[in-house]
Amino acid sequence: MSIAACVRRIFAGVRRIPPAGRVCFLVAFVNVAIWTVVIPPFQVPDEISHFGYAQYLAETGKPPPQGPGAQYSPQEQTALNALDFVSVVGHVKQRGIFNSIEDRALRQTLATNPSPVGEGGVSSVTNQPPLYYALEAIPYWLSPSHEILFRLELMRLLSALMAACTVLCIYLFLRELLPGSPWTWTVGALVVAFQPTFDFISAGVQGDNLLFLASAATFLMLTRAYRLGLDTRRGVAIGLVTVAGVLGKLTFVSLVPGIALALLLLGWRARTRERGQALRGIGVAAAIVVLPVVAYAALNATVWHRGGPTGGGFAAAGTVALATGHAVNFKETLDYIWQLYLPRLPFMHREFSYYPLTETWFDGTIGHFGWVDYTFPTWIYTFARWLFIALALLACSTLVRMRERIRPWLGLMVCFAVMAMGLFAAIGYAGIRYRESTGAIFEQARYLFPLLSLYALGIVIAARGAGRRWAPALGAGLVALAMIHGLFAETLTISRYYG
Amino acid sequence: MSGRAPRIAGTDHLNQVGFIATVSGGQTLCQPQMILPDDAQRVQMLIGTYGPPAPSLAVSFQDAGGRVLTSGRLAAGARQGEVAVPIGYPHGATAVGTLCVRVGGAGRVALAGDIFPPGPSSEQIAGRPQAGRIAVTYLRPGSESWWRLLPTLSRRFGLGKASFFGDWTLPVVALILVGLWVAVARLLVRELT
Repeated sequence: MSIAACVRRIFAGVRRIPPAGRVCFLVAFVNVAIWTVVIPPFQVPDEISHFGYAQYLAETGKPPPQGPGAQYSPQEQTALNALDFVSVVGHVKQRGIFNSIEDRALRQTLATNPSPVGEGGVSSVTNQPPLYYALEAIPYWLSPSHEILFRLELMRLLSALMAACTVLCIYLFLRELLPGSPWTWTVGALVVAFQPTFDFISAGVQGDNLLFLASAATFLMLTRAYRLGLDTRRGVAIGLVTVAGVLGKLTFVSLVPGIALALLLLGWRARTRERGQALRGIGVAAAIVVLPVVAYAALNATVWHRGGPTGGGFAAAGTVALATGHAVNFKETLDYIWQLYLPRLPFMHREFSYYPLTETWFDGTIGHFGWVDYTFPTWIYTFARWLFIALALLACSTLVRMRERIRPWLGLMVCFAVMAMGLFAAIGYAGIRYRESTGAIFEQARYLFPLLSLYALGIVIAARGAGRRWAPALGAGLVALAMIHGLFAETLTISRYYG
Repeated sequence: MSGRAPRIAGTDHLNQVGFIATVSGGQTLCQPQMILPDDAQRVQMLIGTYGPPAPSLAVSFQDAGGRVLTSGRLAAGARQGEVAVPIGYPHGATAVGTLCVRVGGAGRVALAGDIFPPGPSSEQIAGRPQAGRIAVTYLRPGSESWWRLLPTLSRRFGLGKASFFGDWTLPVVALILVGLWVAVARLLVRELT
């Protein structure tokens, strides 16, 4: 197929998206683009490391070797020093560049042209696969300026584009699930588009952004295949989004068992005359995932010399024998995973001095910003909890009322539940080992954002709980609330860094 | 946005890691390579007094030529903790220079800051370089609402970013945000009615 034909097909595909979906995409992009300007350089969690990886890949054409050398290029290190990065992160009373003299000093320092080529030393993200960073290398190369802050802004805009694509995928996912309620597609997509913790992460050079996109696209493709049947084309789509996730961030691997189960289900439920087609779809999807992953593993081991086929990605998360000499056993891991999301049972060892369900996951989703160093006033979290309880009750009433209409989707929902449980388990498995080896808390609310599609689904199901007459109004109210929430988060961020 | 409170004019980018300087009555601590923001009207520091009320604290700021740009004094009697010493205001444009803190009376005062190699850039007590730099926050005059601070926010918003950003950035971002809200409102009206 020629490039012109490809472009024509893409445009035809875009034209098939309802206008409201295109508006949601644009709204999400512009909103996150605003966030990219509001947040000072490198103040998105781990952005220094993600930028370092992308810069190394852009400059050398290969992922970081993870040796004992410096994590950041001389150029990035110089910029971090000139921005007083270390003094600002984690210290809410500190500000960055605040006056013209400091700004001039920053420009003069950057004008000394320190080398953008680093040593690719080991960091918290260098064990990740390179797809996100390879994509970020494109705006890095296309940047008309070699100034690091200019390049960072362009790279942030690519993340904003990924966020917009995530929102569009959620819009289309809801369209597949609720084809008779177009308003729910818009409400669900916009509630995510204005979710401030999602926006904050999306505004940075952060590997999670491809993870969120690949996950949302996977939910969409599986739902579409479930509704229309699995064929080769849909198998290709499922394979592509899955491999994008696996080669984007290793966290995505935790979703793979659920995806595999969904593929098996799709093959099993295909009618006899369509079974061959479905099996071809499964085969194509599997091949599309396996071949690039094997190639990546081989490159890691033989060409890039990154310490083994996975580049050390699973070794870091799965440390069993820790520096303290304590080995985390299976029961401890299970206790930890359970208590990360649910109340402790009497026979379990107490793993937390706080309640992660509310303090980590719920409050973190409402908003823990910066490098988790500033938050909303307490009343916001209290208000949000009551609102969430009300929405959960509404959602339950909808599910009971619509149980007959939901029944045909139960198989797919079970697969989604397996995907979610895989993610929960992976977070807990890595979390207890991280805590035992560093003493620090591992979990952040954004780790659950691969499930944003289910969050949006939950919101629109809750809105439908208001009844046919009032549901759209409640949906609009929830979008307005999300926008106010986002605006509050932006003003909070402006006061944190510029006030 | 309407709540009034003291607002920051700037900091010396040092955190209060611990008390890193002890200055006796009659001694002066001077710290070079400081930036005095043009809108600074108070100098805030974290002090410890070993119990009794603080002695008087005199602050002055000199430029590279030794000319005193501004100075101020906090009378004796303050409690240990965060103290804000008022300085002469206005004192001209943002300037680089040396900040000096003179402790009056006979007591001792510990000042919080961060560890720093002793040398020409570190703090000096009675002319001798010490292993640290004190943490200083400059405050703007009085209490202000965020509305009143908007022009200052707008100026700061354009700093420390890609060079094409400037004073115009915050107003433009605000306008785009308003446009976005209008677009969303129209979309909701169209889709939900």
